[in-house]
Amino acid sequence: MTIPHSVRIAGLVLVTTAFYGYVGQLVPQREVQPPTETVLRADMTTADMVKVGGELMVGKGLCMTCHTIGKSGALRFPDLEGVATRASTRIPGMSEIEYFAKSLYAPDSFIVAGFNPGMPVINKPPIGLTDQEILCVIAFLQTLGGTPTVTLQTSHAYYTPPGGAPAAPGGAPTNATPTNTTPAQAPVTR
Amino acid sequence: MNGLSNRKLLFVLGPVTGLVMFGAVLVIATFLTNREYTQPYRAPAAVVDTTPRAAGLEAERTAAEATARATPYVEAEYRAFPVVGSRVAIWAVAQLHLLFAAFVLAVPIFAVLIEAIGYKTGDKRYDRLAYEFTKLLSVSFSLTATFGAALTFMLIILYPKFTNYMMSVFSPTFLPYVGLFFAEAFFLYTYYYGWGKFHPLVHLALGIGLNIVGTAIMFIANAWLTFMMSPNGISDAGALISVWEAIYNFTWMPINVHRVIANVAFGGSVAAAYAAFKFLQATTDEERAHYDWMGYIGNFVAIIAFLPLPFAGYWLAKEIYAYSQTLGLTMMGGAFSWLFIIQAVLIGNLFLGANYYLWLGMGRVKGAQPVQKFVKYLLIAIAICFMVWATPRSIIATVAEIRSMGGSSHPILGFLGVMSAKNTAVNILILTTYMSFLLYRRTGKTATVAWAKTGHTAQLLIFASAAIFVIFLGVYGYFVEASVRIGLSVPQVSAVLFAMVAITAIDYFLYRRPKMTADVRWGHMPAISQYVLIFIAVTFTWLMGLMGYVRSGLRQHWHVYGVIRDTSPDAFTPTLGFATQVVSVTVLAFFLLIGFVFWLASLHDLPDFDQRSSHPHERSS
Amino acid sequence: MNIPVVLAVAAVFTFLRFRRANLLVWAGAWWVGLYVIFRFGFSAPIPASVVSLYMGIVSIAILAYVSSSEQRREEISGPLIRFMTDKRYTALLGATVVAIPALAAANVYVQMNVPLEPPLFPRTVHPASPTEITVHDKKIDLDAGENPFLELAVSHPEEFRKHVENGRRVYYQNCVFCHGDNMTANGMFVHGLDPIPTNFADQGAISILRDTYLFWRISKGGPGLPEEAAPWDTAMPAWEKFLTEEEIWDTILFLYEFTGQKPRAREEVHTQ
Repeated sequence: MTIPHSVRIAGLVLVTTAFYGYVGQLVPQREVQPPTETVLRADMTTADMVKVGGELMVGKGLCMTCHTIGKSGALRFPDLEGVATRASTRIPGMSEIEYFAKSLYAPDSFIVAGFNPGMPVINKPPIGLTDQEILCVIAFLQTLGGTPTVTLQTSHAYYTPPGGAPAAPGGAPTNATPTNTTPAQAPVTR
Repeated sequence: MNGLSNRKLLFVLGPVTGLVMFGAVLVIATFLTNREYTQPYRAPAAVVDTTPRAAGLEAERTAAEATARATPYVEAEYRAFPVVGSRVAIWAVAQLHLLFAAFVLAVPIFAVLIEAIGYKTGDKRYDRLAYEFTKLLSVSFSLTATFGAALTFMLIILYPKFTNYMMSVFSPTFLPYVGLFFAEAFFLYTYYYGWGKFHPLVHLALGIGLNIVGTAIMFIANAWLTFMMSPNGISDAGALISVWEAIYNFTWMPINVHRVIANVAFGGSVAAAYAAFKFLQATTDEERAHYDWMGYIGNFVAIIAFLPLPFAGYWLAKEIYAYSQTLGLTMMGGAFSWLFIIQAVLIGNLFLGANYYLWLGMGRVKGAQPVQKFVKYLLIAIAICFMVWATPRSIIATVAEIRSMGGSSHPILGFLGVMSAKNTAVNILILTTYMSFLLYRRTGKTATVAWAKTGHTAQLLIFASAAIFVIFLGVYGYFVEASVRIGLSVPQVSAVLFAMVAITAIDYFLYRRPKMTADVRWGHMPAISQYVLIFIAVTFTWLMGLMGYVRSGLRQHWHVYGVIRDTSPDAFTPTLGFATQVVSVTVLAFFLLIGFVFWLASLHDLPDFDQRSSHPHERSS
Repeated sequence: MNIPVVLAVAAVFTFLRFRRANLLVWAGAWWVGLYVIFRFGFSAPIPASVVSLYMGIVSIAILAYVSSSEQRREEISGPLIRFMTDKRYTALLGATVVAIPALAAANVYVQMNVPLEPPLFPRTVHPASPTEITVHDKKIDLDAGENPFLELAVSHPEEFRKHVENGRRVYYQNCVFCHGDNMTANGMFVHGLDPIPTNFADQGAISILRDTYLFWRISKGGPGLPEEAAPWDTAMPAWEKFLTEEEIWDTILFLYEFTGQKPRAREEVHTQ
């Protein structure tokens, strides 16, 4: 009883393909959904923004693809643990909100020593976060070693909320949206 | 005897008839139940009585027509493909088109080279070999064209909006593409049918023309797909600024180079599989010797092309990073990082298979024992590199295992998961495979030149120092910052390339006039070696399918990265398990079709039908 | 590396070397030896998924080696053929035929028979604290601040003792149920907790932390942990809801007093 060569060859092709298909089943299976457009309500509190910001950093913003929180060793990109503390002190006279905003809108402005420039502009495609979403990300970043203070009415060098005077002190705007955020949120300058 | 066979026939026919009757009953029954009652024909009466049912049907019809008329024409963005969905359909067709195209583009490259060698040396064997490779082309070419047409139609039908955008950007390139396709057909068929009919130089010129046209076709097609990955020459809104810049985008040249090399490797391996197929079916020693040699040449082409492929891959990856860090990191660190572990398994198998074939090939020469003893060390080096390369960066572990490791990264394996270790591993793999080849080359030969001993020592020294240098840089990478570490792969690659060139140069002079201790007995190969060739071909094909997926899937939810967003239901990135299933099915379909091509090519060697019938037992004896 | 295991494997290999074992034995020995080294040879064990990956590669490599030349193929197939055809081995062959599916079944049983485990969340035990927090409408600077009653230890010792005694009262009324009588994290509720409470008696616990850090952890509790430390994944309540600011500082004084430890000194602000 000899099996014809063509059958053996077909068997080999089938087994090899099946083997590689099987290897493909052994690795972690993750389906990546396209980012969903979340509607940011105008009356979000800072705590809400922190939550949304955290989700954006993992999801649509792709931040956590490169950055880590609380890792050390041979890293390719700066770790974000306690970044709020560093951001508020790195450039004298620059608040951490301005520092974060500049890092996100013009990433090559600040390069941490020992790393290569490589961060994409966050408000442009393919990542393309909106200005409000970037505020949420800043709120989340502030929790890493600080206390979040931004609201959707916070303005900085790259963005002025509609109705809010550019960098005007006083926090909550008068007419744009009826907010019930915590009153007397400290404005940008601290 | 007769009655017995009748009984047998009845046993077979019984169930068959049963099945047929069952089917017939089913068909008749469905036919009858589907039929509405229709009134028998009657001469039209003067007045038609409208029954309520007829009136209702009439009203329904007019309402349907009215809505159809009222609906305005809407330009579709997507249309769905039945059952498997648009994405899988276009994926499979594109992959099949690509595999056949790769084969059709690659075979002429080495067929012409082999023909040229045959012309130069006057050795008829080479000419025959080149012709045999070319025989596989004509059917593959029509399959390529068919799949290409299917792909185009499906793009227009299933992705009209995206296709429209691509047409608007690349409109000046489509007609030249069609023109080149005609030229390709002209060159291919004259090259094939004109074999031995022209002056050899004219024929070679035809072959070179075929290669130029084929490469040009591929370059144009590459412009389209690389534009999708790294769009260039357009405004922020996607409007075209410069066609040339759109063509000459970041990844165009790297993909061109990568594909030419990979095509040759793939084509060589498929041609070797053809030879293996013929070897296994061969009935005479002469045939066996010929196809063994053909398989060897095909595999040699595949391996030689395969060795620089990782470097071309690095260049491509570097350009992807240069174009967009996000894209690069999605590839290496994000959703696709595990894909590269699968890739490591495939490439490890390829290296192992290629080396194994060379070691088996040492058996062609009597008295290969002195060389055979090195196999052990080569194998250990390959296995270690394979392991290092396949070590994942983020390890799958249970809770208990993570506790006992003291964290989610292992204190030792953590070092092996990063790029420094993997670069080192692949460089050593390449060096080792090269060594295997060198050892194979010198089986049954003894160098006769006066400086033989010095030459061997020099070769060994170069090899050892290259290996040590590569490993040193790999270890050094752990102690420097990221900005320095990335640059280290260049000297590693240069060291390997230098070692390969230098050792080859020495070897050339060392074995210029060797003393032959034994002859190469072509055809004296165990059958398993031929199965290894087929295994290598399947692995190559599968690897191409997988890497094609990552190149295309990398864009994730974009048709044109950062410009045209994918809003279809298929915008998500599937799991790797699903992707590998699609790749597997495509590879099987490819081998089914290429098996058909092989069969057609081997029909050529069969005697004609009327001759065969006069000697019915000639072939089976 | 786990030296005894590696030495044992090396010893077996040396023994085989002297016995001049045939290729089949060597192939088996390499396979088993490498498996033992991967499985037990490392002080931090290699996860099973990686071991099986490595063993797959080892298996392919050994198969490639034993079949890579005519001589080796004969060497390996000779004993196997004799085993399968020789009358002497019939019983053994039968046992092998039975053993292979039995082993496969046993493997399936072992694989399936694992206890259910919760998914692991790698939480940071001592996450970085925020620079300031608000407790009872008062901003507390965690970087620059320190226990306001600490200075009393020198200036007003009797006043200081009073604060410590108050801390003792607060501790034994509130904290003792989890953190234990002598602060070794063996309170009566401990068996129901995961993660277990901090053991203050441990030299590496509160002595490496600043007292403001303790203030943060006590006042904000589990719910106030940052994202990376898995908020709510600990039973520590937010004590600001039950205690005054003074009571919290007193308790911190008592913790250091009782364990005989000192809070970590404030670092000089380092300029970058």
